This record gives sequence, C-alpha cells and structure tokens, in this order.
Amino acid sequence: MAAADSPSAALRRRDLCSRGIRLAGKMRADVVDLLDTYVEQQGLDASVSVAAVEGVPPAAVERWDEQTGTQRLLENLAAYRAFRALLAQMLEEQREQLGEADAGLGRALAAVLLQVSAFAYHLEELLRLESRGIPGEEEEEEDGPPPLPRLSVFEQKLRGLSVLRELAQWAVRSSRDLRQLAKPSPATETAPSLAESP
Amino acid sequence: DSHIQYERVGADVTMKCGSMDWDAAVTWTANGTDIDESHLNGSYLILKNVDLSQSGQYSCYEGSSWHLKYQTSLRVGTPPKEPVLMCRSNNYPKGFYCSWHLPTPTYIPNTFNISVIHGTKDMVCEKDAVPKNRCHIRYLQLFSTVKYKVTLTVTNALGKNFTTLTFDEFAIVKPDPPESVVAKPVPNNPRRLEVSWQNPSSWPDPESFPLKFFLRYRPLILDQWQHVELSDGTSHTITDAYAGKEYIIQVAAKDNDIGTWSDWSVAVHATPWTEEPKHLTTEAQITETTSASTSSFMAPPTTKICDKGAMVGSGAVAVCWTAGLVMAAYSVLFI
Repeated sequence: MAAADSPSAALRRRDLCSRGIRLAGKMRADVVDLLDTYVEQQGLDASVSVAAVEGVPPAAVERWDEQTGTQRLLENLAAYRAFRALLAQMLEEQREQLGEADAGLGRALAAVLLQVSAFAYHLEELLRLESRGIPGEEEEEEDGPPPLPRLSVFEQKLRGLSVLRELAQWAVRSSRDLRQLAKPSPATETAPSLAESP
Repeated sequence: DSHIQYERVGADVTMKCGSMDWDAAVTWTANGTDIDESHLNGSYLILKNVDLSQSGQYSCYEGSSWHLKYQTSLRVGTPPKEPVLMCRSNNYPKGFYCSWHLPTPTYIPNTFNISVIHGTKDMVCEKDAVPKNRCHIRYLQLFSTVKYKVTLTVTNALGKNFTTLTFDEFAIVKPDPPESVVAKPVPNNPRRLEVSWQNPSSWPDPESFPLKFFLRYRPLILDQWQHVELSDGTSHTITDAYAGKEYIIQVAAKDNDIGTWSDWSVAVHATPWTEEPKHLTTEAQITETTSASTSSFMAPPTTKICDKGAMVGSGAVAVCWTAGLVMAAYSVLFI
C-alpha cells in the first residue's frame, strides 16, 4: 500500500481520475445522442420500459456513498468490460441485419465502443495504482468472455436499448465514483484485497 | 346531537327537523337568525341552489316550547379538481420531495394521500410538518433507469380526484439558486465588476456532485442580458461593463451532469469603479486652449487631463491619450 500513498501515486491517481471524469462526460454525451439515433432507426418507442436484461450490468446501486474506492473501481471495471462485449455484439448484429445501409449508426456504435475500451483501460490503471491485481485478466486471455445468448431480432433491439440506457447511467455513476476517488484518500483502505476475497 | 352536512354548490338541500313529524310546528334559524317560513315545506327546511354564503349553523326548534330539536353545520363546497403535483430533488443525491395544491379551493376539508412506486417497490413519502402539502423521500438506489411513479389522491366529502407523475431519477434534479451573491467594482477598472456567490446550502455534497453556474447581467438602462456559463468556481469577473452604469446581476446553478437549471438567484446591483474628478494644472490649461476637440464633451478647465508628452495627432484636432480615453468614456454615457 506504500506505493498507493506516495505523493507521486496520489498525483497520478488525481490525473487519471480527472481524465476519466472528462472521458465519462464525453462518453455520456455520445451515448445519449446514440440512444436517440438507435431508438429512431430501430423503430422503437423512446418511452418503452425494458425489464432488466440478462448480461447488461445495471448502474443502479444501493448505499453508493458507503462504497470503498476499491469496490467502485472493481464494479466499474466489471461493467465496462461487459459493455465492451455487448457493444461489440451489437455492432456485429447491426452489420448482419443492415449491412452498409446504416453506416452512421455503425460508426457511432464503434466510437462509443472505443470510448468504453479506453475507460476500461483507465480503470485498470487506477487499480494497478491501488496495488490491486486486475480481476479476471488471466481467465479472459485464455477463454474469452462468456458468449452472449442468441436472440430474435426484436429481442436484440430491446437488449440494445437496455445496453445504451444503462451505459448512459453508468457514465454518470463513473464520473461520481471518480470524483470520490480523487478526494484525498484516508490513511487505510478497509476493503479486502483481491487475494482475500472469495 | 350536532351534525355536519356537506353539500355541493348549486345543490337543493332539504333538512329534516330530527324526528319531528312533517306537519309539526317548528322554527328554523341560520346562525341564530330566524329563517322565513317561505323556505319551509311543513317542518322541512328547503334551500334551493345553495351557495357558499349559506354555509353555517342551522337549528330547528319546536314551535311552542322552543326546545332545540335538531342542529347541523352546513358546509357548502365543491368536489376536488385534479390536484397539481410537483416533485423535485434539490438535495441530490439524498432524496427528493413532492409538493401539491389544488387549482381551486373546495371550501371544505380535504385529505391528501400520496403513493410512490419505484419499479415494483412501494416507497414511503414522509410528510413534512411545514409546509403541510409536502413530503420527502430518501433515495434507496442511485443511478437507476427504473422510473418513479407518484400518485396523489385528494378526497373530500363530495368526491375525489387524483394525478400521477412518472419520472426518472435524473430528470427532477434542480438545485436551489446560488446564495450570497455579491458584486463589487474593481478599483481602477471602470469596465469590471467582480461577482462571487456560494453553492446553495441545500446541496449536500458539492465536491462529489459539483454544480456549474450561469451568470446573467445587464445595465439597468438596457433590456438585453449578457450570459456567461461557468463550469467551475464560484466567482467571475465581468470585463465588458459600461463605465459608470449600474448593473443588475443574477446567477443560476445546475448539477454538472444531470437535471435542470435552478431559478435565478436574488438580483444584486453594482456600478463599476469610476475615477474621481481631478484639478487641472497650468500646463493642461494651456494645452486645452490651443487645441480643438471633435468630441461633444469639453472637460472643465480646472480638470487635469494629460501630460504634455502624451499628445496624439496635430494641429486643430490634437488630443492626448488620456483626454481621448476620458472623452470616449463620457461619450458612452450619452448613448
């Protein structure tokens, strides 16, 4: 933990948090624009309520203010890794269904995917700074993420809507999480290290 | 026994004198005043097309003994119209409040019942002691995409009505206006005003949930506002104020990421710094009498305008820099 507490580590953390906050803000703005385009081009009703979709990480959280820094980083990282896979799937489905007819939507999806990947990288850097191991890295390299279930075209559209909505919420949550992380850290971290967690 | 009787405006009301027979001799009073027999049908009191002024205490007395046989308090009113409901979070992320009122009075007592549902979960909206038509809810979850549904039902003796609001967590976030707005002139700067303010005290955590601000200002003599959006900090220096003009300034706040702008703050007034008039020296007097000015303004002969070396131009229109600045400033006064 000595490395995480050094002045240079604190500066690095603050710098990563500031950049992450800016990235989250840009990402949210782009996702909101993409949502409007997606709803229109998929022929969906913007006000439709979509029940929780399997595999889409919900941004909703209880006792958010009580989370430790490590919890925030781990939950964020797990979410953005999931979004990376989901967006890649959406892009593939888009190309299968519409080919080049919807190049604009495809480009917007690809741009958001890039931002999600960049944000996941930011989170990994912050976790390294906290002297925490990056969870699931070795498993991912060997086996890849679990395959997403194949859905009907309509189910794909609803899942896509859920993905973008939750991602927009996550972008706001992440911005708040990083602001919490950027605050001067307490002397000790109370969350268990990865080696201790089940 | 005393009763309370609620009737709609415009209704026809028949009051029986307790258990007295129809043909019994009785006297009715309204608020202690005898009611004319023309309103009686036997011992029944008939009030047609009642209005609000007919609310009051009605009493029926047996004819000969003047024993009180029946008494009722008539309350004339209306069933409730659809209530007006508003929900807002001015203390995000702690929670939100809802407040309500009726668009028109009913003139009789009403009870309000509010229900809040988040997804499938019922939430309790705790009534505020003051004001009475308000309740508040603590957020149990943050960053949820599931909408909140708030239903307000108003009931009185003559009917009921309700209204429903559906919204998501972010949409209702609206801070209170910034507080302690102060505007001051900047010494030796005739076109500057320094403005500062504070976060609204109801906003619980400005460090984690920073606010951005919108400042608007105009001289009192003009209608058009200038606007400046500020993403951080609680102060700003206006650098394009008209010299010598009194300004009106207001500030609004918004969460950096979500929700809507607050109402405008209380307005403050300020006038930029202006230079005190000074006495002219002998040299300046000579300079003034030998040069002509194209400005409509001429400085008084005792005012020192400029030094000998600070002249621009030549001949009849030679003016010095300082004089030029002063004249330009005063020219603005006359626009």
